[in-house]
Amino acid sequence: MRRYNKEVIYGLYNDEEVLLKAVRKAKSKHLEIFDVYTPFPVHGLDQAMGIEESRLHQAGFVYGLCGTLTAFLGMTWIFTKDWPIIFGGKPHWPVPSFIPITFELTVLFAAWGMTITFYTICGLWPGVENPQLDLRTTDDKFCLAFDANDVSDSDVRSFFSETGAEEVNTKSI
Amino acid sequence: MNSIQVPSRDKLILGIMGGIGVISLIAIFMNDDEHHTRFWTNFLHNSVFFTLMALMAIFFLCVSRVALAGWNVGFKRVWEAMSQFLIVGFVLMAIIALGVFFNWHHLYHWADESAVKTDVILTGKSGFLNKYFYTFVGLGILGSWVFFARRMRSLSIDEDSHGDNHFKHYKKMKFWAGIFLPIAGFSSAAAIWLWVMSVDAHWYSTMFAWYCSASCFVSMIALTILLLIYLKNRGYYHNVNAEHFHDLGKFMFAFSIFWTYLWFSQYMLIWYGNVGEETVYFQTRIKEYPILFYGNLVINFVLPFLILMRNDNKRKYGTLILVSVIVFLGHWLDIFQMIKPGALHTAHEVSQHVMPNATPAAHQVIEAGVAHADAHGHVDAAHFKSGFTIPGLPELGLMLGFLALFIATTLHFLSKAALVPKKDPFIHESLHHHV
Repeated sequence: MRRYNKEVIYGLYNDEEVLLKAVRKAKSKHLEIFDVYTPFPVHGLDQAMGIEESRLHQAGFVYGLCGTLTAFLGMTWIFTKDWPIIFGGKPHWPVPSFIPITFELTVLFAAWGMTITFYTICGLWPGVENPQLDLRTTDDKFCLAFDANDVSDSDVRSFFSETGAEEVNTKSI
Repeated sequence: MNSIQVPSRDKLILGIMGGIGVISLIAIFMNDDEHHTRFWTNFLHNSVFFTLMALMAIFFLCVSRVALAGWNVGFKRVWEAMSQFLIVGFVLMAIIALGVFFNWHHLYHWADESAVKTDVILTGKSGFLNKYFYTFVGLGILGSWVFFARRMRSLSIDEDSHGDNHFKHYKKMKFWAGIFLPIAGFSSAAAIWLWVMSVDAHWYSTMFAWYCSASCFVSMIALTILLLIYLKNRGYYHNVNAEHFHDLGKFMFAFSIFWTYLWFSQYMLIWYGNVGEETVYFQTRIKEYPILFYGNLVINFVLPFLILMRNDNKRKYGTLILVSVIVFLGHWLDIFQMIKPGALHTAHEVSQHVMPNATPAAHQVIEAGVAHADAHGHVDAAHFKSGFTIPGLPELGLMLGFLALFIATTLHFLSKAALVPKKDPFIHESLHHHV
């Protein structure tokens, strides 16, 4: 299990709109959010939390380009230098017949590269167990968590009651 | 804000664009060969391009309706108005069909009866490619599109005043959209075979109808983006924001790639399958139109692919306008190179047996191109003739004229109804759209 070694104080909400309002309010009050757990992707949550746009797709472009070059240069070397064969009366360097394989390797490299990068960044690998603050966040509850060391307990508790949290708990993870 | 008022300055600009179109049309007509090949090819090119864009507007509306897509409902009146250009398109295509019927032009080789008698391929295709089929089936198909476009629009407008909680109009629209989609799918292919592919009467490709429709679809999305930005600029459509433009940008991006897939596959299947008798289409274009043929790929694939790949670029007006203009012109050029080579070849053939001693301009261009290609293996840029192998200024002027006609028709129908369909069941999904 991944350990944060943190004391976390969190509130559970019933509705994603209420959660979004709470997140915006926390931002405006400069309460530093530790994380938000939701059962499904909530539209506008990233912007409300002020999370920067992921650079994963930039990495994906580079992986894709690697795939394009690997396929195209690989086939070029094989069919012009290493082992030239005549297929169907076509020239030794038949660019149009390289295109489908080039396309496929581009997709393959980009897909695998992005998947592996994503899993590495997120610390996900086979057998990993991620901390669940509350199992109900996988069903119908929305959880907003603060690091107990970053915020004062009374501030957070009054914040949770103002924003309509159903219950407030603490947990060390 | 219920409906739009086009400022008089913008009307004047549209009028000037239309005037440029008319002057270009006259200029082309005056400097032409005896069959008026340049005039008629340009007329066919623009009529088909803008008519099919109107078809794509109603097609996409119906797809959205059937697929329960709500994001575009807020500005769907723009597409409803664009699709009404089919009425104008019907007139334009009727002029061309009459031309086939009464031999006003020589756009189509199969329309030349003496050629059909001696040509085995043309005789074989004459059951489909004849003037009766072209006129009655072609116009019949177009008429059915007009019917559906008018039906969808009138239902949508009626919903504004008579819509109720049982969504009667919505259900009816979904019903008509469901009927229209298969009809549009098959009939658009047949119409494109008749209007565009039969210009190269000896040639045949199963990919062609898709390829041509994809071209028109991308241009339709590009024009929608430009029109919406214009309307927002004039103070309408406050509810259309970066989220909607992001989705339109995604459609432009995706369908540019879809177009490329078809562009390449059409070549690939013939080349890799060693289908020798179908290589004529590509032989002509690669040898006599190399700049258009390869430039086509750069303008319509490489540029939109690289520019629109970034998320931000689909949300900013600057990049969207840039790509929309590039892609619109690019697909206009694409249709240009679908039509011109075959029509020039036909003009050449016809002038040989109709008037053996005459050498029309088209004839000279082909002769010069072939002679030069023989000597050097490629055609030199000096041998391009504007209006025949590359679009000249009058062609661009004519495009502006047709564009003005298209936009004026759209704005006219847009001003007749409320801009936002208030009682559509999906309107709130569209107003609160988030990508």
